[in-house]
Amino acid sequence: MVEKLKYLLTHALINVVRAGWGSLASIASIAVSFVIIGIFVLVIQHFNALIAEWQEQFQVSVFLDDQITPLQVNMLKRRIENEAAVKAFTFTSKEEALTSFRRELKGQESLLEGLGDNPLPASFQLKIREEYQSSEALKGLSAFLSRLEGVEDIQYGQEWVERMTRAERLIRLLGAIIGSVLTLGAAMIVSNTIRLAVYARAQEIEIMRLVGATKAYIRAPFLVEGMLQGSLGAALALGVLFAAYRFVAPTFNVVSPLFSIGASRGFLESSMMAGLVGGGAAIGALGSSLAVNRFLKM
Amino acid sequence: MIQMFHVSKTFGKDLEALVDIDLHIHKGEMVFLAGPNGAGKSTLLRLIFCDELPTSGQILVNGRNIVRMKPRMVPQLRRTLGIVFQDFKLLRDRTIEENLALVARVVGLTTSQTQHKVAQLLTLVGLSHKAQMAPYKLSSGEQQRVAMARALMNDPLILLADEPTGNLDAELATDVLRLLFEVNAQGTTVLVATHNLKLAEEAGCRTVFLKQGRIVGEWNGGK
Ligand SMILES: Nc1ncnc2c1ncn2[C@@H]1O[C@H](COP(=O)(O)OP(=O)(O)O)[C@@H](O)[C@H]1O
Ligand SMILES: [Mg+2]
Repeated sequence: MVEKLKYLLTHALINVVRAGWGSLASIASIAVSFVIIGIFVLVIQHFNALIAEWQEQFQVSVFLDDQITPLQVNMLKRRIENEAAVKAFTFTSKEEALTSFRRELKGQESLLEGLGDNPLPASFQLKIREEYQSSEALKGLSAFLSRLEGVEDIQYGQEWVERMTRAERLIRLLGAIIGSVLTLGAAMIVSNTIRLAVYARAQEIEIMRLVGATKAYIRAPFLVEGMLQGSLGAALALGVLFAAYRFVAPTFNVVSPLFSIGASRGFLESSMMAGLVGGGAAIGALGSSLAVNRFLKM
Repeated sequence: MIQMFHVSKTFGKDLEALVDIDLHIHKGEMVFLAGPNGAGKSTLLRLIFCDELPTSGQILVNGRNIVRMKPRMVPQLRRTLGIVFQDFKLLRDRTIEENLALVARVVGLTTSQTQHKVAQLLTLVGLSHKAQMAPYKLSSGEQQRVAMARALMNDPLILLADEPTGNLDAELATDVLRLLFEVNAQGTTVLVATHNLKLAEEAGCRTVFLKQGRIVGEWNGGK
């Protein structure tokens, strides 16, 4: 078994080298596809991390009426406590709001003197469970809260939530579309290269078939060859991406804040890298079986 | 060993390559299939190793009905056969030894078994000294013997030889004949297709005459 595998691998390598420019074209086209796919994955990964961080800090502020009674505050507290979307909450009284505002204005307290009465409202700060942070769920929650007695206003950066969610969906969709088009294209190119390899060895295949080789036996070396081309291409793409990431991305920091936040995080997660190389192998296998199956039918 | 019942093969619409063939070949027999070019000899052999399916009729090989056999069983059947092709089908870019080893790998021999078998067969056909040469550097008589050696790599139950003396002169043809007898003497059933009636006569084996796809006569070999 091990000997067979070794035989298959060494021969696949020899054939990849023997096919020369053909293999190189396959490997390069897979690499190009995977560089682009990799960029999408990288952007999506950073975007997700950004959103996760942002969701951590995300809170809904419920501002209260100045005329609210302590009894009403207690009732509101209980309503909020029982709300499934709420992970935790804090209450800030008018006085506490003013104190913290003063702290923020350090040195410029004189600004407050003219105000006389405390103008700041009391409020609840709600931390929201992640699964309730979609814009639909937040709209529902805010509608519910604003109907409660003693609530004056609700604020949670509605627009931001919507924009972030929409942008993430768009990037995912674009990535999926472009990714699958490129994947198919790469598979076709591999298929073409392998087809040439198959034709070059048509007589050998014919003889093997006639002396009793199974289809699987005939297919195996081409499959390994395709997988080798695919994974080499993907690995090459990762190398190029990594180099770009390390040496080129930092110069963009000034231009794009998204990039600078991204660059401070790591490169692709190792499971994702393994996945991409595996994906390359899968594409190679797909292209190769397309080529060989068409031939074996003849 | 080989039984054909009312076997016909039509190519395309109306090219009748074989018509209502009834043929029974016993285990250990050596039989000649003689007839002019286009008589259907090669087609008959190809039916036996499942390269073509008959249009009608049944074929039993070693007790198995190969017409109704599942496609995935075909490789197993072929591993019990040895085939000498009319055009040899030797790989140009491999040595003689590698050409033989290809079969060994398909049937799953180990490296040492392969080496042993290759040496044994090259000795049998008298080409040990040319093991490392490319096939096209050999004379056609030698290539014929290499093709024969390769057909024997898997110790076949049946040897099918298509025009094994094709374009050899009489002396070399006799050499090939001697080789076929030797193989047959070791228990292998042998079926030889030839357009050379003299060869069949010289061999003195049971001979089936084929013409325009039909069996038109049989000779018992003068026994
Ligand atoms: N694959 C094929 N397709 C169409 N016609 C074929 C094919 N194989 C053989 N034939 C035809 O069948 C007839 C018998 O051919 P063949 O069996 O090769 O004869 P032989 O071997 O006796 O010379 C010929 O007329 C040949 O043209
Ligand atoms: Mg013929």
